[in-house]
Amino acid sequence: MSRLGTPVQGVTLYSFTRAFHGREYDLEGLVRKVAADGYGPGLEIIGFSSFRGFPEIDDRFAGWFRDLVDEVGLVTTSLAVNADIGIHRDRLLTQDELIEYMRRQVEAAAKLGFPIARVQISLTPDSMEQLAPIAEQYGVTLALEVHADQYASHPRILALRDRYEQVGSPFLGFTMDWGATVTGFAPSLLEAYRRRGASDELLAQVVDLWNTFYEQGPPADQAEHGQRFGAFIGLAARNGRPDLGIDFGINGTGLFGPARVDDWLEIMPWIRHVHGKFFGIDERGEEPSVPVRDLVKLLVDNGYSGAISSEYEGWHWNSWQSPFDIIAAEQAVQRSAANDAGSRMITDAAEARRILDTHLRKAVQA
Amino acid sequence: MIPDRIIEQGTLTTDGARSAVEVRLPWYRALPGSCIAGAGLRVDGVAAPKDSLRWTMNGRTFTFEELVDETEEWWFPTDSVVLSGDVPVASGEADHEVDVDLTLYIPYIVIGENEVLHIEEHDTKTMKAVAA
Repeated sequence: MSRLGTPVQGVTLYSFTRAFHGREYDLEGLVRKVAADGYGPGLEIIGFSSFRGFPEIDDRFAGWFRDLVDEVGLVTTSLAVNADIGIHRDRLLTQDELIEYMRRQVEAAAKLGFPIARVQISLTPDSMEQLAPIAEQYGVTLALEVHADQYASHPRILALRDRYEQVGSPFLGFTMDWGATVTGFAPSLLEAYRRRGASDELLAQVVDLWNTFYEQGPPADQAEHGQRFGAFIGLAARNGRPDLGIDFGINGTGLFGPARVDDWLEIMPWIRHVHGKFFGIDERGEEPSVPVRDLVKLLVDNGYSGAISSEYEGWHWNSWQSPFDIIAAEQAVQRSAANDAGSRMITDAAEARRILDTHLRKAVQA
Repeated sequence: MIPDRIIEQGTLTTDGARSAVEVRLPWYRALPGSCIAGAGLRVDGVAAPKDSLRWTMNGRTFTFEELVDETEEWWFPTDSVVLSGDVPVASGEADHEVDVDLTLYIPYIVIGENEVLHIEEHDTKTMKAVAA
């Protein structure tokens, strides 16, 4: 076993989408709050959410942003970027257009001081290979997010991993999203459906269906994923709530992935960044549907010393609780789990900078 | 995603024949004009004819046909746009029920051969109309 990992605590501003969208905090206000309330030191931002005019970033703005991050004592971890392949109504981007579209965002990441750009599954192994020299040119690692309904041992992810191995660039890796390895349908979402008039009987059937899929394990391919999606729609229709069917399907398959925690071992050496996806905190102070403790232990045991961005997604439906307390509580679970695993989470900014530098310089040894 | 915020409360304006309301993006990240696929505007159940609808974003006014090729102007998550159309409303103390439908393309979620996810969202709010 390698040395125990010391993951860096952090957050993505995506967790605070409601507060930003609702104009309670602007970008500067949110960055200052993250620092002041101790959600950092790691700071992740979605380019198209937080930066007006993204991916065009002028020098003056980049300077302002970097000064702000330094002043408040945070550490930029990952800039989440998007492959907008369908930006034209009548056609998809050509391969050359796509690479240029991504290049501009990688350049923005470098300018803003993010060492990682989170990319998504719509990029194929060929695209990642083509982007590798661009990543190296800008010194930005591309970490493709493994997100439900995919999971580490999914054929598409293994194809990417195998290509990474062939290409051999230390600038290609993965972002682990904990939503791929969930153990239950989130109770806060059941509560949201209850508030929309769903009966307890219907919700019990939703939970049963999800638990059946959990027992079966994650879908083998996109076809099986589609069948499961359809099963949620059918269940809603049979119970007289066809209006909830797509919602059940999207969340039941795309947010709550039923792979097992140790599935991540398939790609562990390539994990450069982590989305600590979660949906809520119960009265015991634990995450009731995401095995946060097991996931942190897995990372620590396997020597992971990159960042974990707490990614609270319960805001999609939970309009009755403040995200701020919920995220603080989830980070307390992460710290406790790291301690239980014989290590700790890094919460000091200077230490985080050193550890992240080492983490990203370490070439992938398969 | 956050459809309850589509219509900005208290923003209904009218010149009697034509009416407008401020609209918020029901999504977490900016989208270009090309991804704004369609909208509907009804006041007290009366729909504005589709060809009378206009979309004012970043100080520019578009028809929905013009938005199809618009990849320069983006709808930022904290910005209001103005949706207007030919629908008669009397300004004054009376309450009006405003309905807005939105169809958006999500350009990075590819769901099939040459196809990206589209979402349809709807919001209803009641407010008074202010003379434009």
